Amino acid sequence: MQFVAEAQPIKNAMAATLEAEYAFGAEDLEARDKVVKFAVFQRHEEQGAAQEHELASFEAMMLPHMDAAHNLARWLLRNEQDAQDVVQEAYLRAFKSFSGFHGSNGRAWLLTIVRNTSYTLLKKNRAADLTTTFDEEVHASGHQSSSPATILEHAEDAELIKNAMNELPAEFREILALRHQEDLSYQEIGDILKIPAGTVMSRLARARAKLREYLSSQISQEK
Amino acid sequence: MNCEEIKNLMDAYLDGELDPVTSQKVEEHLRSCGNCERAYEVETAMAHAIRQTAPYYKAPIELRERIQFSLREAIGATSSHGTAGAGPLPVRRHQAARRGVFFEMPWSWVALAAAIVLGAIIGSTLSPRLQQPGSDQFLATELIANHVRSLMADHLTDVASSDQHTVKPWLDTKLDFAAPVLDLSGDGFPLIGGRLDYLDNHSAAALVYQRRKHFINLFIWPTTSADGKTQTTMAREGYHLVRWTDGDFTYWAVSDVSLSDLQNFKQLIEQQTARR
Repeated sequence: MQFVAEAQPIKNAMAATLEAEYAFGAEDLEARDKVVKFAVFQRHEEQGAAQEHELASFEAMMLPHMDAAHNLARWLLRNEQDAQDVVQEAYLRAFKSFSGFHGSNGRAWLLTIVRNTSYTLLKKNRAADLTTTFDEEVHASGHQSSSPATILEHAEDAELIKNAMNELPAEFREILALRHQEDLSYQEIGDILKIPAGTVMSRLARARAKLREYLSSQISQEK
Repeated sequence: MNCEEIKNLMDAYLDGELDPVTSQKVEEHLRSCGNCERAYEVETAMAHAIRQTAPYYKAPIELRERIQFSLREAIGATSSHGTAGAGPLPVRRHQAARRGVFFEMPWSWVALAAAIVLGAIIGSTLSPRLQQPGSDQFLATELIANHVRSLMADHLTDVASSDQHTVKPWLDTKLDFAAPVLDLSGDGFPLIGGRLDYLDNHSAAALVYQRRKHFINLFIWPTTSADGKTQTTMAREGYHLVRWTDGDFTYWAVSDVSLSDLQNFKQLIEQQTARR
């Protein structure tokens, strides 16, 4: 027999050795342990696969709205680092409650969460920033407003517009960004801000009037 | 309509929220009233300034990466890829305890940095073996690394199923080619699942089969000009590799099973794909 084995190609002999290895009882004992481990492993894999599937559908639905989320947070917080932290936090929150989301407007839903998360931080940091602290009715008579021509002339000045926007209270900054940058309807904005569409209209009107006023005052300061 | 009424409707008109009839009435008034027209022009300029002139803050690419990383962290999917000490049993990371609301980011970066450092260490320990001539040798190293990684991390399969009719559609949606998926459980090579993999600068289907207590990774991708056409067998670092092609696809089987087992496995796949 030895003779025959030697005569065989070496690789077959190696294969035979490996085959023989499986026949050992000790090997089986070890194998059983691994089978148990593998069963656990597979269950983890199945749970993992379900979670990964949910993550995949979440990402497909929500990642396209990251620019909108970031833009809103950036205008609300007026700070890049805070905005990024808020958007990340909002995405994690959104993912946690994603199984309960059955609506069709993923963007409005995400923006609602971004807004709530932003306000949590704003409240913590700058409570004073939240409310309109000035008397809005005073502004018209408060100072000389620039002529429409002058305002039109300056409407292309990016730095000026940005500074004027940032001067506005948070509730005006967000509504202007949602209306004019995200092109959301009164209804969608109302859903996000939890206010009726009529209030959206009047708040937008006040926000634009306020922006015009700040623009005027900045233009007159420049002179 | 008088100017006072128009003033009240102007914002809704600007925002396109008026019904067509009212909208037309406002339009008619604006054409005939200079004062209201100028006021409307300023309103339009404000809207235009916010839309066109004010900055639109797009999300930076780092934020996108950070968020995708933290989402994976939240489901524990980023765990021990490439961590040599993890052993064959996956240690699914506990759902990271909720940290302070706004302090996640530095930790994510620490984890990411650690992963990069680990990757570099593993990469540098593997690289001396890479310094061998021949593209097949490079590929073999990559194949073995992917095989080993699939066993070490809890990432043997993306879709765990012994049903080829589950695995195949899943893979088909992830890849731009339709890899043949066969179950060989009748022949002692049960299908465990499928996985997406990345090899030699292209994506590949990785099918996982079991042979007793060993695993076989079968990598499949559409044959390119870079792929050798002949059948090749290699033995390296205790692993056997077999390559073959069937005209459309290139197959690489990688495992620590015996070479005869692997050859047998290859023949079964070849026979069954040829039958289709």
